[in-house]
Amino acid sequence: MTVYAKPLSPDVVSQSGNTMVLSMGPQHPSTHGVLQIVLEIDSENVVTADPEIGYLHTGIEKTAEGLFWTQAQTVIERMDYLAPSSNALCYALGVEKLLGITERIPPRAQIVRVLLMELTRLASHCVWLGTHGIDLGAISIFFYCFDLRENILDLQEASGGARMHPNYVRVGGLNGDLPEGYLARLDALIEKIPGRLRELRGLLQANPIFQDRTIDVGYLSPEQAIQYGVTGPSLRGSGVAYDVRKAYPYTGYDTYDFEIPTREEGDAYARFLVRLDEMDQSVRIIEQARKRLDTPGPVMIDDTKVALPPKETIALSMEALIHHFKLISEGFRVPPGDVYQAVESPRGELGYYIVSNGENRPYRIRTRPPSMYNLQALKGIAPGNLIADLVVMIGSLDPVFGEVDR
Amino acid sequence: MPSTQTPPIAGAAIDPPSLRPPIEDAVIERVEPAQLRSRLEALKAEGFAMLLDVGAVDYLQRKPRFDVVYHLLKLPAQKATVAQVGSPPRMRLLCGVEEGEPLRSVMDLWKSADWAEREIYDLFGIAFEGHDDLRRIQMPHDWVGHPLRKDYPMRGPARERAPRPSFANKSNVVAGTPPSGRTIEALQEEVKRAREQ
Repeated sequence: MTVYAKPLSPDVVSQSGNTMVLSMGPQHPSTHGVLQIVLEIDSENVVTADPEIGYLHTGIEKTAEGLFWTQAQTVIERMDYLAPSSNALCYALGVEKLLGITERIPPRAQIVRVLLMELTRLASHCVWLGTHGIDLGAISIFFYCFDLRENILDLQEASGGARMHPNYVRVGGLNGDLPEGYLARLDALIEKIPGRLRELRGLLQANPIFQDRTIDVGYLSPEQAIQYGVTGPSLRGSGVAYDVRKAYPYTGYDTYDFEIPTREEGDAYARFLVRLDEMDQSVRIIEQARKRLDTPGPVMIDDTKVALPPKETIALSMEALIHHFKLISEGFRVPPGDVYQAVESPRGELGYYIVSNGENRPYRIRTRPPSMYNLQALKGIAPGNLIADLVVMIGSLDPVFGEVDR
Repeated sequence: MPSTQTPPIAGAAIDPPSLRPPIEDAVIERVEPAQLRSRLEALKAEGFAMLLDVGAVDYLQRKPRFDVVYHLLKLPAQKATVAQVGSPPRMRLLCGVEEGEPLRSVMDLWKSADWAEREIYDLFGIAFEGHDDLRRIQMPHDWVGHPLRKDYPMRGPARERAPRPSFANKSNVVAGTPPSGRTIEALQEEVKRAREQ
């Protein structure tokens, strides 16, 4: 394999013919992780931008091949570390399809899954909004965002046991029912969120400096977005209302009443507004899910070949003990086949192409990382803009490097 | 090659996609490498405007060894409302490739193929002809091997441990002059002279 210096594509010809190459990152604070961008610049103008990724490559897909189906989920949650439950749910849905148990997932588990998905979406967008604000010099919004995010993470900790990677969604349902007192805390949060979202909006939406920095910056046309495989809020900011929740409803999203916010402008400000509107819609879904949670019920599939038997039966039933032992020591087997499962993660269409060869470990898990494709569009939208606006564009595409590099 | 990856069980399927249960996730089609490019061109003309993903799977014991998987989505390439988008058809194209056999790149049809093809080249070692910039993307540029292949050890190749130079123990010193330019004899001579003074 030849190793050679960075080639730069001569698509955009500089006007003065006098360009220089500048490396931005991978330690630059506003690259939201470890992103290096090799820039060819003509004074302050970007001529070409070539994002260089891979600094956070941890081989998650390879690691997952050596783990049981249940264990693999723990590493998969670490891909998009801002929305771990989206990853877990997408993976679980895919495996459930291969197992043929999709229809048998208890309704309460599905409601909690929707609730979790929307809470993670809120928490993830909070990080995006806070850091996007900081990139543009609006420091205070960060604290408001992280306050709200902390409240959501507290709930996540209460239900799953961990703040960042709860591993709460499991193949077949959930790890356990919601703990006592959870719903009261959720009610308090639901009461707080709308006011807090109004504050967040008020801090930036009409701010003239923020508008100056984002309007008409990083224009992404719908054709370009689709060429680059951009999905999620970034695509909807360009006027294409594609959302997996509406296009291919999963876990009962078709029974909830919500809208898909879109904007036609295609600039960084449009993407900002789409995400803010999306947070309002998430609150709507959370409120509807909350109403359905009053009726108790099982949260795990009643099938001891996949789910652990209830703890109290282990001491009484020989069969339960054997199932428990088998599941812990060698996991369950999944029938051979391949499946593609997609969900709408906060960043766009997150997909898993899962292949099983009939063993107790996944044969191959290929992720379709939304951030990677969204970030790739930077090559198309950066040329012609100022270096200072590059930060705005990265922020408005909202990449998460755990997922880009995996 | 030593591997910590579990060896396949005797009953494990060699070609899982051929055994898949009836799951309606996409329209699936298998093409030969020679027809791949023309088929994808035709699909693009049909309206599959978005190439969602290109992935690869290594079926070590199967012939051909690799599957390159194209996920396509039939989205309108313009502004569209929720009703206009509807439930766009999905298409999955599987293409079996033998080791060392290159595929035609589709980077000029869909720009999203750029990084996806680079990643396959990097992690599986499948080359794409006609790709502008085919170099490693996730692994370091000087990496040897393709980690997602099934015969690549799970914890990476065993590396030789470089011997640590130590002047305290003579038997450890490799013959020749150390980087400082002072041999062990010269050093001992220096110490001896210092003691005598």
